[in-house]
Amino acid sequence: MLSMVLMPLLIFPLMGSAMNISTTAVEESARQVTVSLLDMDHGVMAQSLSAAFRVMNVTLVETQATTVDEALDELQNTNMTTLVVIPSGFSQNLTLGLKGSLKVYSVYKSLSIAEQAKTSVVDVPISVFESALVRQAITQAFPGRDPSTVLNPISVSSFSVVKGNVINISPSVLSSLFISQSIGFPMVIMMLLISAMQVAATTISIEKEEKTLETLLTMPISRLGILTGKLVGSVVVAAAGAAASMVGVNYYTSSIFSMLPTETVNLEALGLSMSPLSYGLLGVVMFVTIVSALALAIVVAAFSENVRSAQSIVGFMNIIFVIPSIVLMYADIEILPAPLQMVLYAIPYTHAILAAKAAFMGDYLVMARSIAYISVFTVVLLYVAAKIFTTEKIVTARISFRKRETKAQSK
Amino acid sequence: MNQIAIEATGLVKTFGNIRALDGLSFNVAKGEIFGLIGPNGAGKTTTLRILATLIKPSSGSAKVFGLDVEKDASEVRRIISYLPEEAGAYRNLSGREYLEFMANFYSLNNHDSHVAVEDAAEISGLGERLKDRVKTYSKGMGRRLLLARALMMKPRLAILDEPTSGLDVVHAYHVRRIIQDYVKTYGVTVLLSSHNMLEVELLCSRVALINEGRVIGEGTPQELKSFHRASNLEEVFMEATKLG
Repeated sequence: MLSMVLMPLLIFPLMGSAMNISTTAVEESARQVTVSLLDMDHGVMAQSLSAAFRVMNVTLVETQATTVDEALDELQNTNMTTLVVIPSGFSQNLTLGLKGSLKVYSVYKSLSIAEQAKTSVVDVPISVFESALVRQAITQAFPGRDPSTVLNPISVSSFSVVKGNVINISPSVLSSLFISQSIGFPMVIMMLLISAMQVAATTISIEKEEKTLETLLTMPISRLGILTGKLVGSVVVAAAGAAASMVGVNYYTSSIFSMLPTETVNLEALGLSMSPLSYGLLGVVMFVTIVSALALAIVVAAFSENVRSAQSIVGFMNIIFVIPSIVLMYADIEILPAPLQMVLYAIPYTHAILAAKAAFMGDYLVMARSIAYISVFTVVLLYVAAKIFTTEKIVTARISFRKRETKAQSK
Repeated sequence: MNQIAIEATGLVKTFGNIRALDGLSFNVAKGEIFGLIGPNGAGKTTTLRILATLIKPSSGSAKVFGLDVEKDASEVRRIISYLPEEAGAYRNLSGREYLEFMANFYSLNNHDSHVAVEDAAEISGLGERLKDRVKTYSKGMGRRLLLARALMMKPRLAILDEPTSGLDVVHAYHVRRIIQDYVKTYGVTVLLSSHNMLEVELLCSRVALINEGRVIGEGTPQELKSFHRASNLEEVFMEATKLG
């Protein structure tokens, strides 16, 4: 039960910050890189190149070795992973307008992306140095012209149009934001519902398994009272789960949006940040969704013999969350073929995912429609659950089983 | 006050193609220990479940102290207690916590609830072990706890399905003593089922022999034995099934 509250509290922030953390970690480890330098040229160009390294925050440690082999041997005993060799004649060639050659040796100690970042760290200073040389050459060839107009004669500015508003964020930034959102929500809703159903199914089936249900049903309390008790217990957990989701979502969105240049873009005006109404409606959506899953689990568990069979039936029913979740991770419902759309619209949990997407776009109508549909579904399920509890159905599933067992024994 | 505790008339119960009860009728007077005896699948448990309001008869009627088990189910539940054959207690509660939890369902005041739990503690004979979790109990201890739960509210009718099933001689003896003492002290009516004919002979004031969903003989153990010229109920039953 605890997992229903803790999971969204942990997962959303984790999702939101995972990218930031890993990106930062890679950058951090790259920043701390020191590079070994074997300068066999000692010319003016070699000195300029060293300066370019220092400007780009790469520490150069000049080796005392005299040959490449010696320098590489020395490298093995240090925590440096890169050796830059400036052969003699480097400065002379460049000054004469010939190609200068550099040799870069990268020592791989593991095959992670962080290693990749370390070895590519020398590329930036080298290209900075190279572009300085190019600009110098252009200035000499075309006096009075801005070298950048020669290098990049065309400039492209990217804009995104969201809900009719033009914002100067490149579409690639926005789409990565939407991808993380459209994968994240279905996944969390799916996991929340799966654990909610397990909780509710267990509360009923454990009574059957431990043979406490029949005694409970002959107590002087109404059957609906028992059902209500079971539901309320699960709903309290569900409400906590929904609330935890909202707290998690809040953290998640703020960490995701922190990647965007908020000083230049007003996200609220664009409807890309959630309004209080969206938060509220999304909370309601999560709540009714969880209640409906609980009611469904209770109905299913009423027919099962024990906890294991209840959980395996519930596990099988998870498919109705998994299908919309996975489909909607990759596609918008509108672009799907009509029959698939109809199937998805019929599944109430589709509406929970659609509502989560709509919350970001401030599409209150979609959210209200989701709440209405899921609520109707929930009421029907609760009615069925009440029917099962107030008739002998809640008991007879086992009776029929026992009869078969008795017959088998007597043979 | 109604002196007839149970009035079962023409009870029929079908589960799909299986006819578990086939026009079963019997009466139980107030203060009796009445035994339903018969082989496995005779319809004993089905009868008890109908009287305990768990399932409904397909036809026929059953009344408990004049209350219809179908129409007045919630009133019936207030005056009965039911001990299923395969019952369990909540395993993670201690014995005492279980008794307290079950007493809560009767909306008693604190004093009455306390008295009920104390009574149950005594009936169970579990002493200090009531502080331990139910999951640490042996089968016999668990059965005594459940029987104590069934009797603690001093129900007008206690329905006990195989009260001593699976118990060793010592535990079975203890459970039978509890039932007899309780009937004497509080005038509780007991309806129990058993396929242990000797137990029924020791315990019951009257019995009904059930086979294939019908009553094939009814009376005091003594009456049945003399009618069938048998030395014990086991022989009575074998004779009765031959006749039936």
